[in-house]
Amino acid sequence: MGFFLVLKAEIVRGLIIMRRYWFASLTGIFIGYGMLLMLIQALVYGSGQIEDMAEQAVDGGLGFIIGIFAFGIVGLFTQGLQGMARTGELEQVCMSPHGLVTNFMARSLVAAVSSIFSLSIIIALIAWSVEGTLYFAPLPTIVLLALTYLNLIGFGFMVGGLVLIFKQTGQIAMIIRLAMIGLAFPAQESLEGWPISLRVIVHALPVTNASICLKKVLIDGAGWAVLENYAFYFLILSCLVWTTLGIACFRYMENWSRDKGTLGAY
Amino acid sequence: MSTDLVQLDRADKLFHTRHFFSVDPKTGKRHFYQKRPIHAVREMEFGVRAGEIFGLLGPNGAGKTTTVKMICGLVRPSGGHVYVDGLHVEKKRLQVLRRVGVVLEGTRTCIWPLTPRENLAYFGNLKDVRGKVLRQRTDYLLDFIGLSEKRDVQVRQLSQGQKQKLAICIALIADPPVIVLDEPTTGLDVQSSRAIKDKVVEMTREQGKCAVVTTHDMNVAQELCDRIGIVKDGELITCEPTEKLLDIFSEQVYELRLDRHPDTRLLEAVPGVVSTELEDADDGPTCLVKLDPDPELRSQAIYGTVQTLQQQQLLLRSIQQRQQNLESVFLQLTNGHSRPGATE
Ligand SMILES: Nc1ncnc2c1ncn2[C@@H]1O[C@H](COP(=O)(O)OP(=O)(O)O)[C@@H](O)[C@H]1O
Ligand SMILES: [Mg+2]
Repeated sequence: MGFFLVLKAEIVRGLIIMRRYWFASLTGIFIGYGMLLMLIQALVYGSGQIEDMAEQAVDGGLGFIIGIFAFGIVGLFTQGLQGMARTGELEQVCMSPHGLVTNFMARSLVAAVSSIFSLSIIIALIAWSVEGTLYFAPLPTIVLLALTYLNLIGFGFMVGGLVLIFKQTGQIAMIIRLAMIGLAFPAQESLEGWPISLRVIVHALPVTNASICLKKVLIDGAGWAVLENYAFYFLILSCLVWTTLGIACFRYMENWSRDKGTLGAY
Repeated sequence: MSTDLVQLDRADKLFHTRHFFSVDPKTGKRHFYQKRPIHAVREMEFGVRAGEIFGLLGPNGAGKTTTVKMICGLVRPSGGHVYVDGLHVEKKRLQVLRRVGVVLEGTRTCIWPLTPRENLAYFGNLKDVRGKVLRQRTDYLLDFIGLSEKRDVQVRQLSQGQKQKLAICIALIADPPVIVLDEPTTGLDVQSSRAIKDKVVEMTREQGKCAVVTTHDMNVAQELCDRIGIVKDGELITCEPTEKLLDIFSEQVYELRLDRHPDTRLLEAVPGVVSTELEDADDGPTCLVKLDPDPELRSQAIYGTVQTLQQQQLLLRSIQQRQQNLESVFLQLTNGHSRPGATE
């Protein structure tokens, strides 16, 4: 119940800020598009392959976009949390009667939906520019995105908890976030050729499975056939594990932080 | 004591700080790693009733903020209990948070890209205040605190005092029975701090709320609070109604401005005179005469003193009773000279 109240507050705030900073949001989309196109140009077209250039480009672009999404969502729990601590907003949010976890869930959901919105525009623009195709399967996509989101906030809560206590882990979190882009970009079933230990590690990380599944649906047009892919089950598993672990960790760190007397403080 | 809205029962807080490669300030030795304890709050005990403004007064680092944070659940006590409206803060933290409005140090609570009205809507939503009630309350509060004109200006464009006022509105949006203000007037100009003090008084008196205010400023404490707890090094040295606190310390000291030094031995021989002291100034010395608190004896002593001075043919320029204010009480207490017998 509390979640929906907080969600409403966050939506209202998100809309106000979007309206007030529409110029920044809009230019953000175009800059994102431009940069990504350049990147694809360099990585895909520059590699000299001839066959399936467009598909490669869309694949890379989508991977990158998923990486950016992960980067943003996890960032909310790290740099975002630190920023809130710096402005003092965090203290108030810590004192909201719904608890910090609920607040961050609502906050990240709003952020996720709005970034999915703008990132979809970017990837659609990319696909159109390189004359590639994206398959549009609303339901599987939504399910996959929801799972991706849960996966990411689980991970986010985990690092967020660490940031609550160890203020200096912000830098490490930054590296992790960048690594997620690096993972999502090339993530494909080609992982199958990797040694088993590496595969386990890569699949345990929150963005790999999501990336593989989303590419299946959006690029290969697999639709619900994605259910036949083992990555989907990895995704569900890692979702459960990360969310439970993350929230438990965050709760624990929140209490520890109250012990240390630094909750909400920078 | 079940009527107290806020109650601290031997609340204690011990912090630990961790140091690497640092020199211990006590022993002067260098350590690779050291954990140093800081006893920020020691067995603090007090209660605050509805309609009362309770002041925590103490120098910087006395433990005021820590105490306040224990009331609003931001800091977990390492010993003892804190109750708000009868609820245990540790066990029922989320319920307690519905009952307290908090303005912490530094006026940074509001969201800068939003206007005051939007801020109130946001925090109102967080605290279950919705729809018509929210709008009414927003208008009422902005009007009450005097921010109506700025309701649609982004917070970043507000002054320090206006931000502080908005922070108070945010704390009050859910109409909590307890309001906690940590250093509410620090860094504000005279007008803003006046306005805030007035509003706090108005709010507690008229709406039967209880307020806990911390400050290091005697004047604020003296003007604002019904009861004052003086904190030093985490310890509540004394906790008395403001009037009484002033009374305990209002010694019967009279200032006699003279043209020359008097013979103080003769003065001290007068019955009822406790002690004398001389202070020199450009236009002659001032003799401070401390008299017995007993009214009869004091009256005698005043006559006697004047007579003695007259016998010495001194010019008596003026005579007045020294005013006791909270500042001197505070200094006396925090320097650890005297503890008033009235406590405990
Ligand atoms: N999170 C913390 N960790 C370690 N020490 C702290 C912490 N917060 C406060 N202290 C210490 O506790 C003491 C009391 O601090 P505080 O309550 O902020 O004082 P005040 O608000 O009265 O100025 C200070 O000595 C301060 O250094
Ligand atoms: Mg303080």
